[in-house]
Amino acid sequence: MVATVENTDVKQKDADRALIVAVTSRSVFESGADDDGDEEVYKVGTAFPLLQALQRVNERLLEENPAESLLFDVVLITTDRQQQQQSSRIISSTRHYGLEVGRFCFSSEEDFTESLLTNNVQLFLSTDAMEASQASQKGVVSAQLDQHAASCPSEQLRVLFCGDAVVRLSSSPAPASQQAPQSFSAQLGEMRQRFGLFDSPVSVVLVTSRGGRESCGTALRTLRSHGVSVDEAYCLAGAPRGPMLSLIRPHFLLSVGFSDLKE
Amino acid sequence: MNMKRFFEPLILQPKPENAITIAVSSRVLFNMEKEQQIYEHQGMEDYIKHQVEHETEPFSAGPAFSFIKALEAVNTRLRELYPDSEELFDVVLMTNNHANVGLRLINTINHHRLFIERFCMTGGNSPIGYLKAYHTNLYLSADPVKVREALGEGIAAATMFTQEKMKEVSETQLRVAFDGDAVLFSDESERIYKAHGLDKFFEHEKAHENKPLDHGPLKGFLEALGKLQKKFYDKGQRMDCPIRTYLVTARSAASSGTRALKTLRSWGLEIDEALFLAGAPKGPMLEKIRPHIFFDDQMFHVEGAAEMGTVACHVPYGIAQRVTKKGTMNEETSSAPK
Repeated sequence: MVATVENTDVKQKDADRALIVAVTSRSVFESGADDDGDEEVYKVGTAFPLLQALQRVNERLLEENPAESLLFDVVLITTDRQQQQQSSRIISSTRHYGLEVGRFCFSSEEDFTESLLTNNVQLFLSTDAMEASQASQKGVVSAQLDQHAASCPSEQLRVLFCGDAVVRLSSSPAPASQQAPQSFSAQLGEMRQRFGLFDSPVSVVLVTSRGGRESCGTALRTLRSHGVSVDEAYCLAGAPRGPMLSLIRPHFLLSVGFSDLKE
Repeated sequence: MNMKRFFEPLILQPKPENAITIAVSSRVLFNMEKEQQIYEHQGMEDYIKHQVEHETEPFSAGPAFSFIKALEAVNTRLRELYPDSEELFDVVLMTNNHANVGLRLINTINHHRLFIERFCMTGGNSPIGYLKAYHTNLYLSADPVKVREALGEGIAAATMFTQEKMKEVSETQLRVAFDGDAVLFSDESERIYKAHGLDKFFEHEKAHENKPLDHGPLKGFLEALGKLQKKFYDKGQRMDCPIRTYLVTARSAASSGTRALKTLRSWGLEIDEALFLAGAPKGPMLEKIRPHIFFDDQMFHVEGAAEMGTVACHVPYGIAQRVTKKGTMNEETSSAPK
């Protein structure tokens, strides 16, 4: 059974306009060796800096326009029975760190993908590859949080698009499997446009690992057609990805166009 | 479904650690003077707007263009002789530009039929980490600050300038000319000259004739060129080698030049032609050689060469940087996209 709890500490966002991002509680909070509930509050986990970066974007958006409705709406979701039992600890930890979480979703491994859909989640982030894949298959744009990338202390939210699998569409409208990624990209792009070229709290980065300049050019055009203006672009043409990613330090990686691609 | 889904084929670029990687900024590869003016006088937003509006118009060639083209000519010859080798030149476009300018740069590369498949558009972030990740052997930029930073990290680097005059150069043979002190060699002897004058300099060099000079920032690049030259010699192509190197130094053959040559020999490095000018201007000699690129640590020589149409770049290294001549080129550039 899924329980959804509103976080009364936080002003609720406009459900129609907000960019709803669900992050697993296991990614945000570190479950210690003894989860016996002795400690009231969890230690911070891999995705903690990511939540802070999302929060910073919201703060800057409201600075530009106090009536802004295109904001990140963060949902903290449990994806297994063990975490599901820890609801009060999750809530108190969230409050303790002052995290801008709009809602909590206490679901288990069987029903978490359903609650993503019922909550109109547009982006699902988890440190668990299986979970990301499961959500992807249900049509939710998902990304696995990299241990290193997401835990880097970058103040700026850095979103990486991988442009290697390129979708060439003909003139017909986007099929259903394309609509979710495109609408997410479009909203992210719109959010990015609220800020200037310098000093933006969010940066959009493109990396093409395999192809050369043609595939990078195509990816730039594709993203532009989805309303996304790219800040930084790296075309690797087969050069090792690891060193580049540790320089780029993205919080998470998305595919251009596809959410269910296996690289 | 009207949808094609496919993976781009892996372009066969050499692994960075195997290749001789040349990182070049957009402003030295292409002529972006007009756009630079827009950036400086009207700001970033107008600059980007202009670039996007003119996206399909290719830029014309910048000072590094013919050098880069010549590298490709060498690669073609290397591939003929060693089809499986990754010891080739690899050119990376390393620019501070915002990715919005990316399509215009890609269109320009296509237009000029350049073989550049790797680039970094850092959107304002420092290129240094990326230079290292690519095992960069030589970095060319219009921004002296970035060039100094690269030199500080042990990466061979030089500042290039837009030149009105660029004489025609060979399309089949890459020619690279180097100054000696503070470029191939350390600035140790130049320090003596500046502190104690010419006589003391000659004395010192004669006395230490057999002691190799310490290495300078471009020694590694000469070494890389030598390694490729050897590949041609091994296939019996010494006479027809598509790479030729030159030492163009103010030292004189009779005296101080000996130490320079002995140093190169002790490093196991060959240089094809050594020109000892004994203090005479370098411009006329370079005009005869027609190198694709000439490296010098003194702006006086860089300007002199450029006046006569040689593409000359400045290596901001060593003692000469503290003593600037009057009337030097304006080295101060704003933090413009490069």
